[in-house]
Amino acid sequence: MATSKPKSLTIRSYQVGFGDCFLLTFHYTGQNKDRHVLVDFGSTGQPRGAGENLMLRVAQDIKQQCNGKLHAVVATHRHKDHISGFATNKKGTASGDVIASCKPDVVLQPWTEHPKARVDATQAPGAMTSNKAFVAALGNMHAISGAVLLEAQRRKSMLGATLFRELTFLGDDNLSNASAVENLMRMGKKNYYLNFGSKSGLERVLPGVKTTVLGPPTLKQSSEIKIQRSRDEDEFWMFQALANQFVLKPEARVFRRAKTYSAQGAPPFTRWFLKRMRSIRGEQLLGIVRALDKVMNNTSLILLFEVNGKKLLFPGDAQIENWSYALSKPAIRRLLSRVNVYKVGHHGSRNATPKTLWAGFKNRSTKKTDKKRLKALMSTMSGKHGKATSSTEVPRKTLVKALNSESELFNTQDLKGKKNISLVCDIKF
Amino acid sequence: MTVPPLRTRKLTIIAQDPSVKIKGKILRTQVEIPAEELQPGPWGYRVHTVDYDSSTSTLYQPLKYPSLKDGVDGDPFKGASDAKLLSDPNFHAQNTYAIVMRILARFEFALGRRVSWRFDSHQIKVAPHAFADANAFYSDRDQALMFGYFPGRKGMVYCSLSHDIVAHETTHALLDGLRERYTDPSSPEQAAFHEGFADIVALLSVFSLTGIVETLIDLNAPRRNASQIARKLLTIEELRRSMLLGLAKEMGQELPAIRGNVLRRSVELVPARDYIKQREFEEPHRRGEILVAAVMNAFLSVWVKRLKALGQIAPGALDRGRVIEEGAAVADYLLTMVIRALDYAPPVNLEFCDFLSAILTSDREINPNDSKYKFRETLRQSFASYGIRPRSEGTPGDPGIWLGPEGQLSNERIHFESLQRDPDEVFRFIWDNRGPLKFYENAYSRVLSVRPCLRIGPDGFALRETVAEYMQILELQAGELRKDKKLRIAVPEEMPDDQEIRLTGGGALIFDEYGKLKFHIENRLDDGERQSQRLEYLWGYGYYRNPASFRNFASLHRQRATSLTSFSREDW
Repeated sequence: MATSKPKSLTIRSYQVGFGDCFLLTFHYTGQNKDRHVLVDFGSTGQPRGAGENLMLRVAQDIKQQCNGKLHAVVATHRHKDHISGFATNKKGTASGDVIASCKPDVVLQPWTEHPKARVDATQAPGAMTSNKAFVAALGNMHAISGAVLLEAQRRKSMLGATLFRELTFLGDDNLSNASAVENLMRMGKKNYYLNFGSKSGLERVLPGVKTTVLGPPTLKQSSEIKIQRSRDEDEFWMFQALANQFVLKPEARVFRRAKTYSAQGAPPFTRWFLKRMRSIRGEQLLGIVRALDKVMNNTSLILLFEVNGKKLLFPGDAQIENWSYALSKPAIRRLLSRVNVYKVGHHGSRNATPKTLWAGFKNRSTKKTDKKRLKALMSTMSGKHGKATSSTEVPRKTLVKALNSESELFNTQDLKGKKNISLVCDIKF
Repeated sequence: MTVPPLRTRKLTIIAQDPSVKIKGKILRTQVEIPAEELQPGPWGYRVHTVDYDSSTSTLYQPLKYPSLKDGVDGDPFKGASDAKLLSDPNFHAQNTYAIVMRILARFEFALGRRVSWRFDSHQIKVAPHAFADANAFYSDRDQALMFGYFPGRKGMVYCSLSHDIVAHETTHALLDGLRERYTDPSSPEQAAFHEGFADIVALLSVFSLTGIVETLIDLNAPRRNASQIARKLLTIEELRRSMLLGLAKEMGQELPAIRGNVLRRSVELVPARDYIKQREFEEPHRRGEILVAAVMNAFLSVWVKRLKALGQIAPGALDRGRVIEEGAAVADYLLTMVIRALDYAPPVNLEFCDFLSAILTSDREINPNDSKYKFRETLRQSFASYGIRPRSEGTPGDPGIWLGPEGQLSNERIHFESLQRDPDEVFRFIWDNRGPLKFYENAYSRVLSVRPCLRIGPDGFALRETVAEYMQILELQAGELRKDKKLRIAVPEEMPDDQEIRLTGGGALIFDEYGKLKFHIENRLDDGERQSQRLEYLWGYGYYRNPASFRNFASLHRQRATSLTSFSREDW
């Protein structure tokens, strides 16, 4: 048996490019008493020079670090940049197979991933419970992403390089990742699907570690702070999915019998407008995938680990809509004010470290010698997502400036070369 | 002998949307719009319909309309079957063209003059099947109204066949032409006004059709009687259930997916004075619902008042036709009131309290006697029940109206003729009178428009006015503003000293038929209190970090459908 509390913790931030992968090793005294928790394992883009088979090499390193045994796996939400590494192949040689071979005792995911919440996404939302309707909407978002990716490929020449890159990035990140999802369902002895306030499932796995689930709220909880999800929203995603799929049908045309102009036969006086409309279509697609990306981010698990008064916050990609419920509670705000280690939300994007949260961190300090100074872990890759001209670049420069100034920042972008695949942060309790 | 040219023509439209039926048949109506010889499209002097589907790269061929000469009935879809209306893209094109023209004509009637689009073209483009997307929007950059379509449960759903959606988007375009600065980032209420106003015009436009009123009024009736209707069904609560909630329910089941069911949400917003102070209602769409609720409640109240004057035709029953006519007439009059008020609203930094004073004043000018149906009193009460009080105190007899200018104004060096159309002449008037007008001199100033108008009052007499609007801009840095003791504008604490800030102000000048200034309706650039609130809001919601996100109807409408906002106080 492990002693009642861990004495220290090692956090490895892995180089996965644009994605998240953190291995938390809680050190207990005595023999073989380390406990390993893997938080996310996914990527949507890898930096040059990181070498081939990066995800497989990361998986093998994780296996080595944990001596072939993971105690828990946390998949904060279903975005590719958080779970793609869990994907398997038929030969059983993929990165996800390596992780599965570490036989985690528990797998933690948000409530939206519960198998019983799954439904046929084409059902009318009105005929379902609100939870199921929401999960169905998430399913529709995957379908939309797939369709948008296909349409973007078709229109590549019309879209322009910047728009095409952003469309394919977001479309790809929001695909369904079926293999990874299946693996996450199977690999653990027990699966937990969590929401704000629920037991974490880590109580027996991590003795002496208090784990508080701060998000995502259930729909009922959200409604308590007047964030009422309406059926109209779920319907919007259903119809949007149908619309996007309709376009992909061969020779899709609404009015088959109506007379049309040939591609070259458009009257000259319509051409300026037709050109504008083609451009608008690209912008519309981007608007849709941006919106669904946000909804998906807000299903993220938010976990707070506590040992001996030290607090570690892992919020996945949660944005303000997810955070709002937790931050509405004064006791939670007090709890969060003492955070010692903060995993920067959503790779440092502008809207996943709520300013209220950041301002509340009392351990922020500009003094590098300050022993209590906040530690921040950021896994990111510049130039992949957003653009500085619209203040949407990831990581957001104003946030990075604050992180550098007021915390000790562990940034995976500082990892260079093929061999350096993780940053190590040690915490003593 | 020649036949005088027709002034108006009638075209068939779907009264609300294909889901509103009567005796199993889609409820349609013929609307009267300005007559013109149409090019295929329809392509007229203000609207050019181009039926291009950008999702499938399909350009549909337009219908050729017969000439109106020699008294030809130019409505090719009169009496067409439901199947024809749904399956013929040329009807969809006609439906959008006719509704856009009807709303345009409604604006021109109310304002007593031509109304221009904001962009440099006389003709707005209309795309009735723009893309496969649950969205519809106005885009000034593209000089167009775009209407999407998507597969619904019972077949394709077309935004271009929904009266309220077409009217809503047209109103955005017209409002943008009339008040180009209302899309500027300002207060939550200015952001909310575009959406709220477009909803109000759309709903009143639908309710001004007798066919719709007739269909809805029976919703609560256990048994339909062709000639009479029970008085007990004509209380405010019963009409709210049948007319407002009824329409919300009857509207295409899939249509709320376009931008949420604003009508239902507004009707369910029970009067409370503290909404405008709540954080939830800082979000522009939620705040816009307050405006819609206040006007729609007033609509029901005035209607019920008018019904009290009707005699019973049987014990406990009123004449059905009169009840319907009264409802449509109230909607029509209210529609005129809210449109006319635009001329009396300040051209920048609008808030609901300004708009209320504008409605009260513009109506009083043309209809001094409000004692019969008390439109103004009812609107004042309804707005007050949502915590909105008129900006101006008004007079004891007419609370809330704008007051005339103070001080001795001079027209001595002004040419009356030029004053009716020339921005330079209007600016000369302002400059010559900058003392009594208390004009803020230390800013860039520009007259945006000068518009002579001729409005006809209910008594048949004409009211001639010239409406001019000017705006002022002052650009300076936050640090300079902090030191400025005269402006007294509070700068958000976290705003860096080198942050560039643009302060705006401006006013509307209403001249009477002799060139005398009747009203100077302004939101001053040096109004420290309101400018401080505005800066606080814009800083808090990230305008200075990402200005582009504050002005885009396509994304605004999608946010409304998905309840996602694109800007937040919490962003970096």
